[in-house]
Amino acid sequence: MSDAVATRAPTDWKTGAMQQRIRRRYSAERRFRLLGLGAVMLSAGFLVFLLVTMLGNGIKGFTQTEVRLDIDFEKSALFIDPAALRGPSADAALAAADLEGTVRTAASSQYGAAGAGLLSESAWLRVREAVKEDPALLSRRATLWLPAASPIDIAAKGEGAPEAERIHAQLEGRNAVRTGFNWNFLTGSDATDPAAVGIWGAFKGSLLTMLVTLALAFPVGVLSAVYLEEYAPRNGWTDTIEVSINNLAAVPSIIFGLLGLAIFLNVMHLPRSAPLVGGLTLALMTMPVIVIAGRNAIKSVPPSIRDAALGVGASKIQVVFHHVLPLALPGILTGTIIGMARALGETAPLLMIGMRAFIASPPGGVTDPATALPVQIFLWSDEVSRGFVEKTSAAIIVLLVFLLAMNGLAIYLRNKFERRW
Amino acid sequence: MKQETELGQQAGQNIMMTARNVSVFYGGKMAVNDVSIDISKDDVTAFIGPSGCGKSTFLRSFNRMNDTIPNARVEGRIELDGEDIYASGMDVVQLRARVGMVFQKPNPFPKSIYENVAYGPRIHGLAAGKTALDEIVQRSLRRAGLWEEVKDRLTDSGTALSGGQQQRLCIARAIAVDPEVILMDEPASALDPIATAKIEELIHELRGRYAIVIVTHNMQQAARVSQRTAFFHLGNLVEYGDTSQIFTNPRETRTKDYITGRYG
Repeated sequence: MSDAVATRAPTDWKTGAMQQRIRRRYSAERRFRLLGLGAVMLSAGFLVFLLVTMLGNGIKGFTQTEVRLDIDFEKSALFIDPAALRGPSADAALAAADLEGTVRTAASSQYGAAGAGLLSESAWLRVREAVKEDPALLSRRATLWLPAASPIDIAAKGEGAPEAERIHAQLEGRNAVRTGFNWNFLTGSDATDPAAVGIWGAFKGSLLTMLVTLALAFPVGVLSAVYLEEYAPRNGWTDTIEVSINNLAAVPSIIFGLLGLAIFLNVMHLPRSAPLVGGLTLALMTMPVIVIAGRNAIKSVPPSIRDAALGVGASKIQVVFHHVLPLALPGILTGTIIGMARALGETAPLLMIGMRAFIASPPGGVTDPATALPVQIFLWSDEVSRGFVEKTSAAIIVLLVFLLAMNGLAIYLRNKFERRW
Repeated sequence: MKQETELGQQAGQNIMMTARNVSVFYGGKMAVNDVSIDISKDDVTAFIGPSGCGKSTFLRSFNRMNDTIPNARVEGRIELDGEDIYASGMDVVQLRARVGMVFQKPNPFPKSIYENVAYGPRIHGLAAGKTALDEIVQRSLRRAGLWEEVKDRLTDSGTALSGGQQQRLCIARAIAVDPEVILMDEPASALDPIATAKIEELIHELRGRYAIVIVTHNMQQAARVSQRTAFFHLGNLVEYGDTSQIFTNPRETRTKDYITGRYG
């Protein structure tokens, strides 16, 4: 018996072949680590490139160049009864007055024949606001800062045509130009003039759409997950449903848009372009994601916890609501946020249900016409005017900040509810 | 089979639970084969036997925990105080409150120590108010021999306790709903010897107040804690009798072989 053992020579770990094998193992290890590092670096590089270009362009979208304009209202050809400005008839009175002409005349007299071209087309709207706020202006000479025309604005930010650069330098010499934070961009809505556009309308549209999506997709998704995981018998039907849900999560979003168009608009006659319809459509898209994430989270709750609760006489529903759901909540929330983030960035289905219309005022409720952030970005990127380029980037920054805020909330909630067992 | 029925009738006077011709199937596989047994109110009854002999499965059919396993099927009749627990009118929730269970692996809820014990009384509406609930929690923890160790940190998580403390917490949780029977499925198999000794001591103290059925791998443990012992092999009840008799003078050769360590 010991013969066989004795004749077998002990392994020599020091031979050249062995040493080579060890070296090869080490280099394979190193190579793999470098490859992994390279992959991470590559994605990080793309991310940095994206952020740098977006921020570089977008930051300019948040500022606006303004040109000083002195208007002598007394000498102008305006006929407005100051008394009419105090009542509810103010808007009508202002609409009748030729403010646009007044602004043009004042600009020409101050900056020469091309003076009107220095100001944005919507500059007179700012004058209207100022007069409405302070009717006393009409009886004196006033100095107003009005948004500059796009070429001047771009020149002020250092990228203008030589001609515009020259005019801008002249204006600067006369101390008649300034660049400040563009509050209007955060509070206004879409407009045809890039100097006057704002993101608030689209932001509010996105917010309302997301609320509808969450209110619908979260309860339905979680309840479906609970039922499928805890109650449904294991048979062919459950398998079919499971496969269908997995497939549904992979369906291209444009198809959900068509579905929304066919059902919510054509059959149910819900209002077109409304956040309600957008939310319903995106909820269809988000729900499968929540169901899948929810089922996985519920599955990962240890069976011993269920046994413990059943063992002291908890009913099935008590087991689910007192123990399983609270423990599965972090996972469910993570899945929900992933689904919601996808829905927030979704453009295609919203185009199908008409949320791509030009909407110049923020929606008041879920049934008002509205647009959404990604759709707004898409629309602006399509505009001809040079001024929209930086506005598009600025809108992308707003969308990214919205997304980051949502993810931050998700991480906070997950850490808050996370428990160990 | 006649013999096994006789074996089952050997229990003492105060009979808490009776099983008659009970068989348990997982799908087509028979795990417990036609077992009849009486569980005494005043004694600790131990189920011993090699792995896979069906003793845990049989134990779980006493409070219908097998219901949660898909494809599990129980035949025969099990009675609690003369009531058929598999009758259609039987409320499973109530049954499990009357027949509590302690599991092999300590499984406290990931909640505070207080909440772990208060959970059962709360869902069954056993306490009229906060003070009554406090009393139940304190009494249960005292009976489980845990009160002195945890009274100052009732709000700490139950999962932060040591393994032995967790298992005593699970026992406190089981007795908080005032059950008539406590089923213990290898309650000390995941614990160190000192924690095991504490659990055994606790079982001694609880004897008489609750009917206790304990499944164990450890024959010395069965000899130490139980008054009655049932030996299972391959799904069959081989022998059932007083613990002293089973360990000193077994009637069956299979029992004798197992106890002397010839297999297992």
